[in-house]
Amino acid sequence: MNATTMDDIAVVGIGRTEFTRGSGRTTLGMAAEACRSAIADAGLTPADIDGIANFQAGDSHPGLAVARAIGVDQLSLCLDISGGGNQACAVVANAAAAVRTGQANTVVVYRSMNGRSGKRFGVATDNGSSPLAVGGEGQFNAPQGYMTPPQWMAMWTKRHQHVYGSTCEDLGQIAITQRRHAHDNPHAIKRELVDMDGYLNTRWVHEPLRLLDCTMEVDGAAAIVITSLDRARDLPQPPVVIHAGSESHGQGGSWDQWEDPTVMYSHYAAPLLWQRAGFGPTDIDFACIYDCFTYTVMAVMEDFGFCDKGEVGDFFSEGRATHGGDVVINPHGGLLSEGYIHGMNHHYEAVHQLRHHAGNRQVEGAETALVTAGAGPYGGALVYTVDA
Amino acid sequence: MEAVPPPQPLIDIDSHGFWNALADGRFAMQRCSTCRLFQHPPAERCNACGSTVAYEELSGGGEIFSFIVVRHPTVPGYLDDLPYVVALVELDDQPGLRIPTRLAGAEPTDVSIGQRVQIALVDLAGGNHTVAVFELAE
Ligand SMILES: [Zn+2]
Repeated sequence: MNATTMDDIAVVGIGRTEFTRGSGRTTLGMAAEACRSAIADAGLTPADIDGIANFQAGDSHPGLAVARAIGVDQLSLCLDISGGGNQACAVVANAAAAVRTGQANTVVVYRSMNGRSGKRFGVATDNGSSPLAVGGEGQFNAPQGYMTPPQWMAMWTKRHQHVYGSTCEDLGQIAITQRRHAHDNPHAIKRELVDMDGYLNTRWVHEPLRLLDCTMEVDGAAAIVITSLDRARDLPQPPVVIHAGSESHGQGGSWDQWEDPTVMYSHYAAPLLWQRAGFGPTDIDFACIYDCFTYTVMAVMEDFGFCDKGEVGDFFSEGRATHGGDVVINPHGGLLSEGYIHGMNHHYEAVHQLRHHAGNRQVEGAETALVTAGAGPYGGALVYTVDA
Repeated sequence: MEAVPPPQPLIDIDSHGFWNALADGRFAMQRCSTCRLFQHPPAERCNACGSTVAYEELSGGGEIFSFIVVRHPTVPGYLDDLPYVVALVELDDQPGLRIPTRLAGAEPTDVSIGQRVQIALVDLAGGNHTVAVFELAE
């Protein structure tokens, strides 16, 4: 097997803020807290940081401002990536590439957002008095009352239900399992257990998606610190190796023209990832699957080969997606229950678990993790491993 | 009565022909002068071969590829108009050529994937634009 790996780069520090429904803080303040926390966790000081990377959708403070706020006055790498959760693996992969190519020695990567109290991705607008003017592809759709991600995702979900006979109950199994995982996570914003009746009794958002199919919008920040594995081995935390990654961004990013909404970007990214990693889905101990919606988990798990088309509901209901099963899916509760930090919190959880620091939600013997980012036409994935 | 009208299109040079055609009562999309592919959303040139494109009227018929029932107040202009159906319509003119559209006059329980639909042009409140909605074919 000709694996193309990044095995010489590691995550050495993780940090985050509290996740809340109303931070009362700037994204700058939260980013600085998460970055400082990650740097301290790595056993480093800001003086050791020479690179910063983040992604944002015009809703956060840029890297240079955050660097200043943590006392880093000179950067040899300052990477501001435009996008939402679709970039949550790309930002880490690019920071790793920068370290490998000598552009920087030690990079802090963050995402900071007031995702609930500030710009909300599931809402068209605040209650303005003048009409919205929508450009780009949205100019054809928004006037029809169709313009937000929950609507696009519902459209894709319905198509999957039509083609493969998947059901709302299948989606419910995902929400229920992840909530059970969040129950053991004090950092999660939603921890109360839910059963199928509870799931089915939550209100529709856009049929066929209910409230519990949608991510929990929160305010907060998460950060990780990346450096070479050589340096990592001299630092206090067990290094977590960035083993391999892949990306796919296709078909113009159009949710309407995408050829087959029963698959996502992962249909293209998965074979690349497994080829580069040199192993496959059965080698993964746990997966932080980007879960802006339950349907994203369904399609992405099928694409990565964890189960056959239409089998995801059974996979969850039979306990194969939780502790003691085939692979633990979103052991922190995911974006659905821990909170929507656009997937940066997935990296935090992956590292936390691979250090075996996750306490009562620890995935037993965890050595390999899949983290995915994004949904629909665009996204990426990384495989993390413990230091061999 | 809605206090806030629905979103209005921010028209650009590439999309001008789409909206102009609707204002003239025609539903048109860009078509390549060389490879003859329709494309949407519009661009300056053909996505596939880079040749020039021109707006060409479509048949106005299509099939429901997928649909949703909007039940949560989301988009201004439609906040008090729930539930409503948005269908992703695959147009007869080219496989895979789709457009999302409100299904005018359709009850959610009447709608299923694969149904035939036909275009209907309506005025968009709050401005001077015409939009193409679709309705279930007889
Ligand atoms: Zn052409």
